[in-house]
Amino acid sequence: MSKPKPNPIDALLPLPLPVFHMLLALTEGERHGYALKREILHRTGGKLNLGSGALYGSINKMLEQSLIEESEERPDSHLDDERRRYYRITPLGRRVAHAEAVRLRQLVELAEDSLGFPEPA
Amino acid sequence: MTDPKTIYRLLLKLYPARFQEEYTTPLERQFWDEYRELPNSGARLLFWLRALADLAVSIPLEFARELRQDVAYAARVYRRRSMATGLALIALALAIGATTGVFSVVNAVLLRGLPFRDPGRLVQLEGYFRPETGAAGFHGWRTGTSYLADAAVYRTEEMNLSATHEARRIKAAETSANFFALLGSDPEIGRAFADGEDAPGKDNVAVIGNGLWQQFFGGDPRALGSTIHLNGVQMVVVGIAPPGFDYPGATALWTPTIFDFAHVSRARGIWWTSLGRLKPRLTLAQAGSMFRADMERQAPRALTAEERSKLRVISLRDLLSGHVRKASLVLLGVVIFVLLTACANVAHLLLSRVAERRQEMVLRAALGASRSRLVQQLITEATLLTLAAAAAGMAVAQWASRLAETAQPASLAAQAYTILDWRVFGFAAGLAMLTGLLFGVFPASLIGRMQPSAEAFLTQMGRTQAGDRHSGVSRLRGVLIAMQTAFTLMLVAGSITMGRGFLKLMRTDLGFRTDHVVTMRVALSGTAFEKRGMAYFQAALERLRAVPGVESAAAVEFLPLGKDGLIGGRFKLDGIGEGELGMIAGTTPDYFRTMGTPILRGRDFTAADERRPDPVVMVNEAFVHQFAGERDLVGRVLVSPWNEKQKYTVIGVTRTERYFGPGDDGEPQVFTAADEQSSWNMTFVARVHGKTEAYLPVCRDAIRAADPGVPVFGVETLAARFSASVAQSRFYTTAVLFFGVFALLLAVIGIYGVASFSIAQRTHEIGVRLAVGASSQRLRTMLLWQSLVPVAAGMVLGVAGAMAFGRMVEHLVDTADPIRIPMCAAAGVLLAATAAVTVWMATRRIVRMDPMRVLRAE
Repeated sequence: MSKPKPNPIDALLPLPLPVFHMLLALTEGERHGYALKREILHRTGGKLNLGSGALYGSINKMLEQSLIEESEERPDSHLDDERRRYYRITPLGRRVAHAEAVRLRQLVELAEDSLGFPEPA
Repeated sequence: MTDPKTIYRLLLKLYPARFQEEYTTPLERQFWDEYRELPNSGARLLFWLRALADLAVSIPLEFARELRQDVAYAARVYRRRSMATGLALIALALAIGATTGVFSVVNAVLLRGLPFRDPGRLVQLEGYFRPETGAAGFHGWRTGTSYLADAAVYRTEEMNLSATHEARRIKAAETSANFFALLGSDPEIGRAFADGEDAPGKDNVAVIGNGLWQQFFGGDPRALGSTIHLNGVQMVVVGIAPPGFDYPGATALWTPTIFDFAHVSRARGIWWTSLGRLKPRLTLAQAGSMFRADMERQAPRALTAEERSKLRVISLRDLLSGHVRKASLVLLGVVIFVLLTACANVAHLLLSRVAERRQEMVLRAALGASRSRLVQQLITEATLLTLAAAAAGMAVAQWASRLAETAQPASLAAQAYTILDWRVFGFAAGLAMLTGLLFGVFPASLIGRMQPSAEAFLTQMGRTQAGDRHSGVSRLRGVLIAMQTAFTLMLVAGSITMGRGFLKLMRTDLGFRTDHVVTMRVALSGTAFEKRGMAYFQAALERLRAVPGVESAAAVEFLPLGKDGLIGGRFKLDGIGEGELGMIAGTTPDYFRTMGTPILRGRDFTAADERRPDPVVMVNEAFVHQFAGERDLVGRVLVSPWNEKQKYTVIGVTRTERYFGPGDDGEPQVFTAADEQSSWNMTFVARVHGKTEAYLPVCRDAIRAADPGVPVFGVETLAARFSASVAQSRFYTTAVLFFGVFALLLAVIGIYGVASFSIAQRTHEIGVRLAVGASSQRLRTMLLWQSLVPVAAGMVLGVAGAMAFGRMVEHLVDTADPIRIPMCAAAGVLLAATAAVTVWMATRRIVRMDPMRVLRAE
């Protein structure tokens, strides 16, 4: 058996829920902070309402981990003419989000085996 | 109403620097975006609550994250500059440790409480000694004065205690029955003495110290009521003193006095101490004058001026801390100087970091970055360094505190020096925090002066290489060097004067030779020889003299370098005149030969002198010199101070022995031939051939063999006794010397660092000068003069400081000379030479500089 190689992706898992949501939201395109917050609120049916501090704390950490990067500042066409800072997902961020999804699927499959979920109708 | 945006912006200031810099704008904007969409005040309140909760979680998280980053970065910086960091760390650890160690002494002596009730009202009454009045007289007086609420008397003596199956020698106090009541220190278990127990037949009770209780009885409460023997007298334990109570100094047992002086000759006097508790609202000065008036009224005859001057009321607290208080405060001052010097070095270290990153900072400032990021980083670096130093410093503090304990022990167990005290810990923590902040904030504040404008940026870029010389950093470095120089000069001058004083002390002719002498004590009380000491001493001396290698042996009542005071009185020459002071001590023949004290005129005692009906004495030079015009007293007659009919013929004059050690001028002494009266408290001395320590067990065994029932103690060489007597001087001298050298080393490191840094900063300028033909020697000379300017300024300050410091040094060692100008000059020359050599060494790279390469590198 070969030695397990240290994997930079595995070290980041499991992802905190807000981070996972933000990565997923960013796969659909660049977003600024407030847009991310609103999108996550919408996607979770109002269940995950990130405070501004928590939001930018997560962004700060994700930048540090190179999961996302800043794109140039530009006006937000939806809201007003003010310039805002936009973020986009990096290739590493994409791989990490994927790995988290795989991890969660395996967990769900395990749960199905144990609990015997009924097939969705 | 205040703008919610403004309030939120203020709250965002609580974030750490880097986060603030990055996210303040989007956070603020997002807050406002959401806030203005809120429909009513209820929703706004809810929104505020959510926002506050969000910040309360988020701010500490970001702080922890940035702290982690800053610490990691600081650790990297320190690893890269491990040499400079190591030195700064050692300097700070030693300085914080020494300061904390000295503070532990100050804390113990001045801040911690005494084991008495309301100790501020307790006084010692000096000059009160009227044993002839007895118990009734004393008790009548103590309750009848206008200035005392109560008074007690005590005296202490070493005694042989045997209890359970053990025997040992302890310090015991004989007290009036109200001793514990006066101090307000009730025994922890059992009772104190009852009224009237200080009377014959009722006095066979004792209160024992807590330590003795633990050692002899294992802390068993059944010790109460058990029987012990003190000098062979049976006593019942009635009480156990509270832990830490050992007043007067190291007393282990208290027993009531019966105001009876029959067992010791009254002529030899007994040293009583009188304590009082002042009446409420009475000052020390008022009580003093009332006490003097009271004593004069009671005295059987008019008091002499000298007797009157001895009548004093002294605060017990001052008395118990006085000997250590001034010394420890002066030493605290010294170590704080050293601490400041060490801090200056750390500041140099951090300042060079500021200068190193100057270009980066100017650039960042021009790009609009906040300076608080670097400030935060510098403060983290400084705090990290001081915390590490403080941790290491606690070990130094423990060591310093133990050292102080040996050199100058506290008067009472309750004043024992320890660093395990909340005040000491608080002091050390405060010290570390203060130094960290001071020298983190100080360099950081300089960054503020770098104007964050593009204009300044361009100007700065134009002169980055040559710029350091005129900047705030450089000025501050100059001030720090001047400060270091001033403190160092003070400490070096102090070291020189104390070192000289100590050498003088060691070279002092004591009047006897401390080498090759073994000393031993015995206690005859409670043994078969209590009433026939002379028989014992003669037998023991015979055995001692028979030990191979013992050249001569003798015994003396009071051996020099002891802690016991002498007993003396005024002798009249030929029975006429006022009489002069003479401390009296019984000696056996051969004492002066054994001690190496020359007999200047006349002869030594012989065995026959002990049985003569007409007693003879020997006197020392100091005694002779008291009588104006007298050079030789051999053959003359002295009249006893206590008995007009008692006359002594002088048979010899000896060199004066400095009884209390080299600091003592030499007491006038009268030596009698040892008799039954003096033999109760004699010390053996033996002069030996070869290694003195090797004789200690042999000589002790010889004395023991004379009678195994007599306990032998105090077996040590006279050299060791001498060493102990100068321990305090040695401690303070070594301490100041050590700190002087330490400060000098720190100054050298500081000066070297500044000089070599300034060369690094001015490489371009130096390159240009070399290219246009300046010789490297000339450049080095120029740099030398420039570097010595702050040193010179510091020296001027240092001389003024040293003169002031010189007066304080006298509180440490009374034999120290005051600091004079020549001493300062010597220290200044030493310092200037060291500084010059240091700068010269630091500039040696200029010689190897190739101007072409330097300029091309630009």
